[in-house]
Amino acid sequence: MQPDDIARQLAPKLGDGLLSVEPFPGTAGRVRFRSERALELFRAVRDDLHFGHLSMVGAIDWVDHREVFYVAWSDAATQYLFLSTDVPASAAHVESASSVWPSANWHEREAWEMVDVTFDNHPDLRHLLMPDGYAFHPLLRSFKLHEPEELEVKSRHV
Amino acid sequence: MSEMWINMGPQHPMTHGLWNLRVKIDGEMILDVDPEMGYLHRGIEKISEDRHYNEVITLMDRCCYVAGFAWEHLYIQSAEQALGLRPPERAEYLRVLCDEFQRIASHLMWYAAFVQDIGLMSPFLYGMRDRDLVLDLFQSYTGARMTYEYMRVGGVRNDVPPGFTDQARKVLDWLSDRFVEYDQLCLGSTIFRERCDDLGTLKANDCVAHGVTGPMLRAAGLKRDLRKDRPYAAYDRLEFDVAVADSADVTARYLVRMEEMRQSVRILRQVVDWLDRHPGPVLAERLPRWLGAPYAPIGNEGYLLKRHYAKGVGFSAVEEPHGEAQAYVVNDGGEHPYRVKFRSPVFANISAARQYLVGYHVADIPPIMGSVDVCVGEVDR
Repeated sequence: MQPDDIARQLAPKLGDGLLSVEPFPGTAGRVRFRSERALELFRAVRDDLHFGHLSMVGAIDWVDHREVFYVAWSDAATQYLFLSTDVPASAAHVESASSVWPSANWHEREAWEMVDVTFDNHPDLRHLLMPDGYAFHPLLRSFKLHEPEELEVKSRHV
Repeated sequence: MSEMWINMGPQHPMTHGLWNLRVKIDGEMILDVDPEMGYLHRGIEKISEDRHYNEVITLMDRCCYVAGFAWEHLYIQSAEQALGLRPPERAEYLRVLCDEFQRIASHLMWYAAFVQDIGLMSPFLYGMRDRDLVLDLFQSYTGARMTYEYMRVGGVRNDVPPGFTDQARKVLDWLSDRFVEYDQLCLGSTIFRERCDDLGTLKANDCVAHGVTGPMLRAAGLKRDLRKDRPYAAYDRLEFDVAVADSADVTARYLVRMEEMRQSVRILRQVVDWLDRHPGPVLAERLPRWLGAPYAPIGNEGYLLKRHYAKGVGFSAVEEPHGEAQAYVVNDGGEHPYRVKFRSPVFANISAARQYLVGYHVADIPPIMGSVDVCVGEVDR
């Protein structure tokens, strides 16, 4: 599967929600899409392109905006597909993929607590690796490694 | 009976690491589970943003302490892609050698811990004894038994010492005979079979939906192995079969891992033969000194040279002993990676815990979680 094939199959469903499909190392390509059309894209990728397995979700802080990326796998094509969308840092949110791929659940929890991207309609958006009530987002560029943080850890279950 | 939540962990014989499985029970029945992770979170992805490309390798060993080589290989592949480098062929074979011996060591560790969960004490000792032979081999060419720091961006640190391949063949012969005994001990035991058959069943479509990979997925009958599907390093030049089983229960996972060890032995025999016949360099030439110098001390001028490569990204995946691990490395032209993201297979396998635990009894949790092969180091990173 080549980037052009993917663009041809996705374009009728997504319209202007699809920004570009470009070559990407180790995968069939990188699909860049508008975050408002996320759910439609996920469904099209799963049902029309047959990428039934979502491997990971992550986010990158580019300071002026944040990038949310998804890696999907197709058993039929034995290929990965990289999906990515940009969200503004001031309103970093995107629709949760967990209604399409249940495996997104934990990955989105991690991306939320680490990079401060909110996943709308997520079934269970709470801390995963950090303690409850942790007020920082460690993978933001503004979180400096060499400065101490002050933290009061509360017990999770009373 | 009234329902209640109980904690199994963070200190519990079932966990094999530091995590907490919250279980909602009604009498002996499991109604719901909620795994709680993070006790071993060391922020490896964050620390990587503050390290040179080669310094991240140190962290990779600590990512998964029973499969350090697999994680080194994973990171190295992505970093090489991001920097636009290729290793020499001998280095690719040496990486396969590391990966497959690591798979055997990891599966033996799993075997030892798993059978002990079921109540068999002697196989625990056998598993640990045989794993030590593999660790001895690692020590002979990396100097370490657990945290190797052996692979390098652009190759591997050093070649194997003279006489290594003969020693490796002896270990492989020994192991092949032991696998027969393991099977006799476990599969030949009625108690083992009654304990493990039809337990913790997770069918193929549930595995796919919840991102489960590795031996758990292959135990459900799906023949998916990255070494075959998207061959990396030297795997496209080696002969082996993908281990599968179809009953999707704890016994099936046992069968898959045992078969994988046999296949690893088969791969390793080909690799050591190849290594005997093809001497050559193990590290790419013309690397900038800060990247290539194997023992450059921190602070020496070569170490701090500015990088010579264009911006780039690297994405790669390897079939590590627990499943499919992925790494995404973003290189923005600086000396450190801009962002590193890892996908841990055990992370996904535990996230599906509700699917394979609910409906069974509390006493079934140790064998089921044992068959998942949990390594908390890579889940929390």
